[in-house]
Amino acid sequence: MIEVKDVYKKFGRKPVLKGVSFTAEKGKITALIGINGVGKTTIMNAIMALTPINKGEILINGEKLHKGSFEKITFIPDAITMLPSMKIKDAMQFMDDFYDSWNQERANELLSFFRLKESDKIADLSKGNTAKVNLLLGLALDVDFLLMDEPFSGIDIFSREQIAEVFTSHLIEDRGVIITTHEINDIEHLLDKVVLLDNGVVLKEFNTEEMREKEGKSVIDVMREVYRS
Amino acid sequence: MKRFGKLVHFEFNRFFKIYLVLIGITILSQIIGIIVESTNYINLANKSMYEDHVSLKQFIEENGMMSFAHIGPSLWLLAPIAIVAVSLLFYMIFIWYRDWLGKNTFIYRLLMLPTNRISVFAAKATTILLYTFGMIAIQLVLFQVDAQLLKWIVPDEFRFDMTTREMIQTFDFIGLVFPYSFTEFIIHYGLGMIVVSVVFTMILLERSFRLKGILFAVLYGAAAVLVFILPILLNYLVFNEYLYPGELIIAEIITAFIVLVSSIWTSHYLLNKKIRV
Repeated sequence: MIEVKDVYKKFGRKPVLKGVSFTAEKGKITALIGINGVGKTTIMNAIMALTPINKGEILINGEKLHKGSFEKITFIPDAITMLPSMKIKDAMQFMDDFYDSWNQERANELLSFFRLKESDKIADLSKGNTAKVNLLLGLALDVDFLLMDEPFSGIDIFSREQIAEVFTSHLIEDRGVIITTHEINDIEHLLDKVVLLDNGVVLKEFNTEEMREKEGKSVIDVMREVYRS
Repeated sequence: MKRFGKLVHFEFNRFFKIYLVLIGITILSQIIGIIVESTNYINLANKSMYEDHVSLKQFIEENGMMSFAHIGPSLWLLAPIAIVAVSLLFYMIFIWYRDWLGKNTFIYRLLMLPTNRISVFAAKATTILLYTFGMIAIQLVLFQVDAQLLKWIVPDEFRFDMTTREMIQTFDFIGLVFPYSFTEFIIHYGLGMIVVSVVFTMILLERSFRLKGILFAVLYGAAAVLVFILPILLNYLVFNEYLYPGELIIAEIITAFIVLVSSIWTSHYLLNKKIRV
């Protein structure tokens, strides 16, 4: 489980996170939702120790992040984390060189699923294919948790559909996913949990199935209710 | 350790093409320099002896014998060495910033590797050191090539052959890069590694605290220099040259070690606790 406990973060004098707390469990898809600038990416970066927090605690399976944690959790930012000069096969080789959790079989499966050619150079890929390679590099790791920052951002509808398909496939299986997205329509039915953020605080945290069953509301209904009030 | 080796290999390859160009410029410039300078000398000798009827002895008295000492201090040799030195100094900074400011933020990947983050620092520092040693090794080979070229172009009676050591000693600037003894080697390159560590720490301070970090970096750099030269300052300004040179060197080694360890420790702390992507 990922536990974000009472996290505060300021950039200069501007507070971005003001006591954010939530949990994300293994085997569940948790979405962090909010308008631009509410601190979704900052939370992701904080979980991966890519930005320091001013107060609070973040635990992964009950432990603070350490070097071994990167074999258990991975972050797929909204931009690819490999050099433009690399070919896809170089990027995969890089991952294989450094991660014990790299699963080459799964990588090959993802290559054919996304219809990518490993000889293609990253710099020459379209935005959609770049997003797919980025996803491939994260999904081919045998990790417990995947953090995805805006995986649908700025890509065409066909690529979006293909990426959304991943969430229903065995490629996610029983892993825990935290996703930030604006494109809620594509994956609303897949979400297990939603954390609504605004102005650096959690406005509402709810289980989507319970919400549907008990109150008959979809994620979008709750978003309308919370953000319009 | 295996991962560290791979990281060094990866970092090394990232600059390798530019490095090859720098090597190419150095080789070409020196070879062209030897050919041009030697040919000019021979042409001058021919003109003096055949047209102006100057004797060999008189010509050599007036112009000296042709040797590497004629070419060593010339731009043919100095310019490429300066270009390489400036490029490596620039790369010492670029090696970090390219990971943040490039088209794709590769720093995400480097900081998410399942290794100690300080190994990223160590791999980058090792890369700079390897490039420097590589360049020195190439220059040592080039000295032999230069000497051979001189032998081919300039006849024996006009030429003074120099050993590699004499070639290095032709001017002080090269002596910095090619130390004369093992102790000097340790001092020069130890100092080089300390400079690299301090500059890396300054960059990490800026990357961690951004605008405020520039101030911290300047203060850190100034403090590092102050700590390093503290024994010299104290010896001359306070203790009236109380320390023997040997004692001063020991004091310098201690302060250099303090600067190096504090830079590595600070960088380790920044990479783990303060860094921002």
